[in-house]
Amino acid sequence: MNEMIVQSINSIVFSMLLFIMAAGLSLIFGHTNFINLAHGSFYVLGGYIGITAINQIGNYWLALLLVPILVGLLGATIEYLFLRRLYGKHRHLEQVLFTMGLALITTDIIRLNWGTYVVNIEPPILLDASITLFDAQFPLYRIAIIAAGLTIAGLLWILIQRTRLGTILRAGVSDIDLVSETGINIQVIFTGIFALGTALAALAGIIGAPLHGLYPGLQFEILVLTLAVVIVGGLGDLKGAFLGSILIGTVDTFGKALLPEISLFLIFALMAIVLLVKPSGLFSARGE
Amino acid sequence: MKHNSNTSLTYPIIRSYSRRKLLKIAGAGAVAYAGSTLATACSIGNDVSGTDSPIRIGVLLPYTGIYAALGDSIASGLEMYLDEIGNQAGGRNIQIIAEDTEMKPNIAQQKIRKLVEQDEVDIVAGIVSTGVLYGLREYFHNNKKILICANAGGNKISRDMKSPYIWRSSFSNWQPNWPLGLWAYKNVASKVFMSAPDYGAGHNMVNAFSHSFQSAGGMILGKQFTPFPSMGDPAPFITEIRKSRPPMVFCFYSGSAAVAFVKAYNEFGLTKEIPLVCSGFTVEEDVLPAQGSAAVGARSGLHWALLLDNPTNRQFTTAYKDRTNTDANVFAVQGYDTGKIISHMLNEVQGDTSNTGKMLESLHQLSFASPRGPVILDSKSQNPTQHIYVREVKEIDGQLHNAVVEDLGEFTDPGDDSLG
Repeated sequence: MNEMIVQSINSIVFSMLLFIMAAGLSLIFGHTNFINLAHGSFYVLGGYIGITAINQIGNYWLALLLVPILVGLLGATIEYLFLRRLYGKHRHLEQVLFTMGLALITTDIIRLNWGTYVVNIEPPILLDASITLFDAQFPLYRIAIIAAGLTIAGLLWILIQRTRLGTILRAGVSDIDLVSETGINIQVIFTGIFALGTALAALAGIIGAPLHGLYPGLQFEILVLTLAVVIVGGLGDLKGAFLGSILIGTVDTFGKALLPEISLFLIFALMAIVLLVKPSGLFSARGE
Repeated sequence: MKHNSNTSLTYPIIRSYSRRKLLKIAGAGAVAYAGSTLATACSIGNDVSGTDSPIRIGVLLPYTGIYAALGDSIASGLEMYLDEIGNQAGGRNIQIIAEDTEMKPNIAQQKIRKLVEQDEVDIVAGIVSTGVLYGLREYFHNNKKILICANAGGNKISRDMKSPYIWRSSFSNWQPNWPLGLWAYKNVASKVFMSAPDYGAGHNMVNAFSHSFQSAGGMILGKQFTPFPSMGDPAPFITEIRKSRPPMVFCFYSGSAAVAFVKAYNEFGLTKEIPLVCSGFTVEEDVLPAQGSAAVGARSGLHWALLLDNPTNRQFTTAYKDRTNTDANVFAVQGYDTGKIISHMLNEVQGDTSNTGKMLESLHQLSFASPRGPVILDSKSQNPTQHIYVREVKEIDGQLHNAVVEDLGEFTDPGDDSLG
């Protein structure tokens, strides 16, 4: 029984990590209708640059703040130089090809800079401890991930539902032409969204690295996981991404605990069923 | 040395591989272009002698994914040996053509065809994952192409899936684990919980350990086979292990999965309570820096250890560190010995690679001094007969390494499933 409760906490931890991973992807697609398959690359870049930054600066928290900003600026630059040429309703294939190319280039840049050995970010000293749960040790860092996930979800909700910028963003989803005609520079808004999405990916990379390490090819694993989350939850919808994360995180954790051999398959089975039954995602507010 | 060493093998692979991938994505079938770039890049400095065409060795390794570091280490070890012999054997220059298998048997199928049918390589070396090895077995066998397998330990290749064309420089999965099971029963505990990835190698290692452990009187409390290649978050598995409250855990993981598993094992407090006994790859030198103190105290069985005290190993580990700036690992040793075995074959036929029969014949009971100690290529299992060592992760001069606890003696794969 106690183990089931611990597994439930494990599933919440993993769900929150998934949400932090997927939020950026969902945000970008939801508000710019751009499919960014390089999302996993910004995630691992965040992790790797994070390691270098932590070593150079010597302060985990400062690195946690600065690295997402840096990667966000990189994202904005890439958006400004390339991606804005690829916006448009029927250009998803071009977006997929271009961002896949970006992902492959990033793989090589990472290999050249950081090598192929698995590297790891140690949790900050403050969180490198454990609490006792049913006479057993549970890492504090994992509890902190729950807090981080909820905080990020809350801040994004406030940004989108409670600020003027959020009003513009939501209007953009409904009718982008109308927004431009009211004199709002939608290009700048798009660049900003891409910067925010990639910064979130980088933040997730730093937060997730202590759990799985960093290695060449990780970005594609992350990409597949985040795509599963947004497909199940509803692409481009923050609430969908949140609920999708919880569903996938729960299925994954209990699948691993009860049916380890088929646990990986369970996520994809869930994804396939959702695609068949409700292609817009289980929690999507949008029609089909 | 006329050779332009360090980067000649590793980096051209990366460059050509990525370029090729990009082109493929763009829909341009420019494989030939990338191939020629690679050939040019790899033959830099190979101006040692004559105008003869070089001997081509195809190398199949994963350069991405959870075993990327293994592929890199094997490549570095192989390259180091080839440099030592001036990139020449049997009177001819040696040229390496490398391809990325990504751990996927279907990708490996395309790559082996490219190497054999397009690049016309004489010998193939490499292969990290057992799945890839099994998937390519028929190809080597039917095409009578020699493979020196530099890692993948799938038992079947020494047993019912044996081919005269496939020899291993590495190990069979049975080898390190069967002796370890016996040792663990005598020295650690009589009950065990087992955890390994759900693929050929994971099952092989668990079976070998189980066989000797149970034969000695040990009891298996539970087994878990986790998703492969990536296990994702290991926390649910660790919680399941604790549920059965075992006095000992046996596991096999490698690459990034080994880092994730060992770290979680420690974070959830199991390191303090339940001794971890594992297949040596789990805490090998390639993953130890990332595992850090979480790995301290883990005991493992393997056919090599960084601090193994013999002259060949001392020389090898020093030279490898000078060359790559990282500590050697077992995969680098296997790459190095692969180079040694290949050059032996080529010398036997004086560079005449059409004489496949004589090259293969020269491998039977071939013995040489390896960094892992004396090695003999066993005729029956076509796999090394070698010593198995129990190692323990210890802090030595401020760094974590595997120290040898005990030499369990020499082991040969039984060649059938009688011992697990």
